[in-house]
Amino acid sequence: MASMRFSIYRYNPDTDAHPYMKDYEIDGLDGEMMLLEALKRIKARDETLSFRRSCGEGVCGSDAMNINGSNGLACITPLKTLKTPVEIRPLPGLPVIRDLVVDMSQFYKQYRAVKPYLVVKDPVPEVEFRQSPGEREALDGLYECILCACCSTSCPSFWWNPDRFLGPAALLQACRFLSDSRDQATEERLDDLEDAYKLFRCHTIMNCVQVCPKGLNPTAAIGRIKKKMTKQFI
Amino acid sequence: MSRRASGLKAWLLQRLSAVYIGLYAFYFLFAMLGGAAQSHEAWRAWLASPMPALAMILFFIALTTHAWVGIRDVAVDYARPLWLRLSLLSVVAVILLGSLSGAVMALLAAR
Repeated sequence: MASMRFSIYRYNPDTDAHPYMKDYEIDGLDGEMMLLEALKRIKARDETLSFRRSCGEGVCGSDAMNINGSNGLACITPLKTLKTPVEIRPLPGLPVIRDLVVDMSQFYKQYRAVKPYLVVKDPVPEVEFRQSPGEREALDGLYECILCACCSTSCPSFWWNPDRFLGPAALLQACRFLSDSRDQATEERLDDLEDAYKLFRCHTIMNCVQVCPKGLNPTAAIGRIKKKMTKQFI
Repeated sequence: MSRRASGLKAWLLQRLSAVYIGLYAFYFLFAMLGGAAQSHEAWRAWLASPMPALAMILFFIALTTHAWVGIRDVAVDYARPLWLRLSLLSVVAVILLGSLSGAVMALLAAR
């Protein structure tokens, strides 16, 4: 790989009237390298470019961005999988603070709305909560979410109703706590989700499943919530 | 469930009506293959018998319900201003209820 071309969304609200795409050509890249490495090299050349990153290993979820039209984590996206010029934009549907950095307040608000913690009404045991292996397995595919926001910001229902639909990431967490044998607020959680918007704006478009860098399935989790709700209703 | 279940009820109605419409489609297809519409007389006689008439009335009710939930979903997604959503849903409700009444009256008249 001799050189690679990138087209990156740039916007600095202090100096730019409008966002624009800026082209970069970077030499000396290897196809096995991840996109984050290329972005670091671009930043070394143009230090005005802003983007978030931290662990560099797909664990923290900081460097979520829109890569060639699909959301993903730059740190686990190999360069060899990308068509050039690589078009990089901020996550869609969230306000841009600067360049590839978006304001995630709405996303976190949705996350907090599902009470992402155990609610226990009985006296807390003196040692630990006990779970059978089966009860623990019920959380697989739910607890691994890293809150990168790739899923929610690729969801058209989130784009249309970000203030009222909770989005796939928050609903995955809702399912995670509804499925937890230790939680004692199932009825309240289901009641909280019961209106025309919070849960039922999901139309199983499944963009969330396609983009999740951890291979999770929020659509299936939403289906599980609907099933629990139906059982409770009947 | 303590509240009125507007999301769940609509979702369940959409799925249940879809199941009925799917089953009715097979029933209707077999009736047609069995010669229920071979002639105008045969068609009238088929619709005049209680079971096919009841099944078809239920089909139109299911179709109206399914269409209403679907269009309501589209309106809730896209028509954000309340006046626009209410106007759209009112027009749709009149069309759907009018169509349903027309279909049921035609079926009853065939008896």
